[in-house]
Amino acid sequence: MADSSSLPPATGAAASPVTPINLVLLSLFVVLVYLRLKPAKPQTLPRAPPATVFRTFTPPELFPYNGQNGMPVYLAVRGRVFDVTAGRNFYGPGGPYANFAGHDASRGLASGSFDEDMLTEDLDGPLDTLTNLDNEQLEALQGWEERFSEKYLVVGKLVPVGSDEAKAAAALQ
Amino acid sequence: MAGIIGQLDAAIGNLLSGWNAYSTLLVAGILGFVGWVVYDTQDADTHPLLLARQAQASYVRQPRESAIFRSPETPHGYPLKTGLAVKPPGAPMYTAGRDGDLRDIWRRVTGEIPLEKNNAGSTGPGKILTVFGKEDVTEHSISDLSKEIGVIGKHLKDHGAKRVAVYLPNSIEFLVALFAGAFYGFSPVLIPYNQPHAVVIDLLLQTGADALIAEAGSVPLAEVSKGVPGLRQVIWTVEKTSRHMDWNEVPEGFGGKIDVSVWHELVQDNKTGAAELPQSPAQPPNIVFIWQEAVGKPAEIVKFTQQNITAATGALISALPGAQRINPSDTFLPADSFTHSYTLCLTLTALFSHATVIVNSVAGPGIDLTLASRKIAPTIAVVSAETALKLHQSTTVSLTGSLKKLAHYLETRMLTSGRLPTDSLLTRLNAPTRAAIGTTPGKLRLLFVSERAGQNTPPLTSEDLSDLRVYSSARVIYALSAARVAGAVAQTNIYDYRRGSSTPPSQKHSHFGAPLSCVEVRLRDTAAHKTTDEHSAGEIVVTGASVAGGETALGINGTFREDHTLAYV
Repeated sequence: MADSSSLPPATGAAASPVTPINLVLLSLFVVLVYLRLKPAKPQTLPRAPPATVFRTFTPPELFPYNGQNGMPVYLAVRGRVFDVTAGRNFYGPGGPYANFAGHDASRGLASGSFDEDMLTEDLDGPLDTLTNLDNEQLEALQGWEERFSEKYLVVGKLVPVGSDEAKAAAALQ
Repeated sequence: MAGIIGQLDAAIGNLLSGWNAYSTLLVAGILGFVGWVVYDTQDADTHPLLLARQAQASYVRQPRESAIFRSPETPHGYPLKTGLAVKPPGAPMYTAGRDGDLRDIWRRVTGEIPLEKNNAGSTGPGKILTVFGKEDVTEHSISDLSKEIGVIGKHLKDHGAKRVAVYLPNSIEFLVALFAGAFYGFSPVLIPYNQPHAVVIDLLLQTGADALIAEAGSVPLAEVSKGVPGLRQVIWTVEKTSRHMDWNEVPEGFGGKIDVSVWHELVQDNKTGAAELPQSPAQPPNIVFIWQEAVGKPAEIVKFTQQNITAATGALISALPGAQRINPSDTFLPADSFTHSYTLCLTLTALFSHATVIVNSVAGPGIDLTLASRKIAPTIAVVSAETALKLHQSTTVSLTGSLKKLAHYLETRMLTSGRLPTDSLLTRLNAPTRAAIGTTPGKLRLLFVSERAGQNTPPLTSEDLSDLRVYSSARVIYALSAARVAGAVAQTNIYDYRRGSSTPPSQKHSHFGAPLSCVEVRLRDTAAHKTTDEHSAGEIVVTGASVAGGETALGINGTFREDHTLAYV
């Protein structure tokens, strides 16, 4: 260490408050006080996703909701449309139950079959009335419906094309 | 490399060579400041993210409506609160309990139904005191009150009264009449006090009252009996100083149509009667409330069932976190009239929790809280928005001098950071202006302020509420009450001290917090306000167990803000 810097300033003269170290310490003090007194921004949470609007679907309107092209995955059970996007691995494109997406899945769930012939072919025709199901199938359907109600959100209802409800819903738009 | 280090070394050496006494002082100052910050920093009363999202929105909304918003106590998919969860004595703690009605509240006061175990402190009867003006505070014996309930109830029931109009200021007779109606099967009609006579007669006609309990001399018997042909019974309550007069007289020309009796004489004559109140399983009848902007203005008549009242009472009990709930060590002062359902439900909450309830006839929308609490030291008080505003204005006027303003500013800063200011060295040296509430300053811990929807009550901004917290050194809760909803629609969180940064300048009212756990609130689209994906606005529609008729539209437009609190729009 250079010996000139180890000599303290003359003790007789008043020690000047304005030295580099004092300026550094003073600015440190000012910064600390500013940080303490700065009004804190209130904490906020990011905005939640907006609520889905309950919608009255007709089969042609429900058809696009099969997970392709970035659409959510919906399926209908006994007139109620469920949002099964959370179960995309099962109901989305490429999944084992992908046939149900965008369709009325009631008969398929009742019979425990994922074949194409469980779905109504004519989307503009009346809905599947499920009248020729036996008790065992109806029970199975009931069980499936309860599981869906517990797990997934009901986002709409399914009505046939040309019914009063479909016309009323179209008028609302 | 060595050259740079050497140069750095020399530079640092040069810097430090200027060390002198001032440097030591500055370092001591910095260390002291950091030490004080470490000592002074405490957690906020509640986590700020809990205030960042208060109500819970449903995931699906109907077209033309907003999502349904509920209290976090009753999330979607679970039933709303429907009552008091009254458990019979000796039942295990995990039983659900039944909804209960006013009779169970009185049974809790008498000690028949004990307090829950975790609220230990008092198994005996509750306490009810009455303040008479500037005189002393008298305590009522609960067994005597039970006897009064029995006497009055039996008298009215024997004379076949079905709808009993109660036209009294806040008084013990008011509460006795209310409970007598629950035990003896008549419906009390609660008429706000201090009306012009014509309005009283009109209300008696509209509600179909066949009996009247009123203060002696407050209504002229002649006009009332002429104007209300269905009236059969009148019971006068007489204050102590006028008891020497004979109030039994009926003016001439009335025949035997109206039977006039006097409260204290009835009680005295039947003093030795049975002290047991009837245990009939029948559901007690409705209670009729009158919703009025001010005395003399047009009134809306609302019938609340017992379930409406008990659902509101239960929700108000659980709206406070466990540590802040009303408990037996509290003194409760209702400084707003009992004819407002919010005040009445909070009073029932206090009775149900075995707090000491102080009944003061100085109670109403515009009273001065300092005057009302002159002889007592309440820990919890319910006031109207007018009273709160008056308190705020009178204390702000006396806030002069820069030292006081500095103290006020420091306490406001502490509130904004989420903590309630406590007494510290700084406040003892330089105390901010406090409002004079009660005989012992600083005992008030909770102040409920109610806003009446659609009644032109004066607005309170969140800055006003924050100032009130400093003035009263208590937590302030702001609640939105409406005509057809018992209790309140929504109530601010007790730990929510935030000052409105998101309030648009056009909106003067503070937000009202999350809905109570007995109701769910949604907003219906109107021509002017619609709900979109970005924000919800519309007419406020309330559904739940405490709503008369199950569902009602308030007729007021509201919105749910970013933090999911209800506010006017």
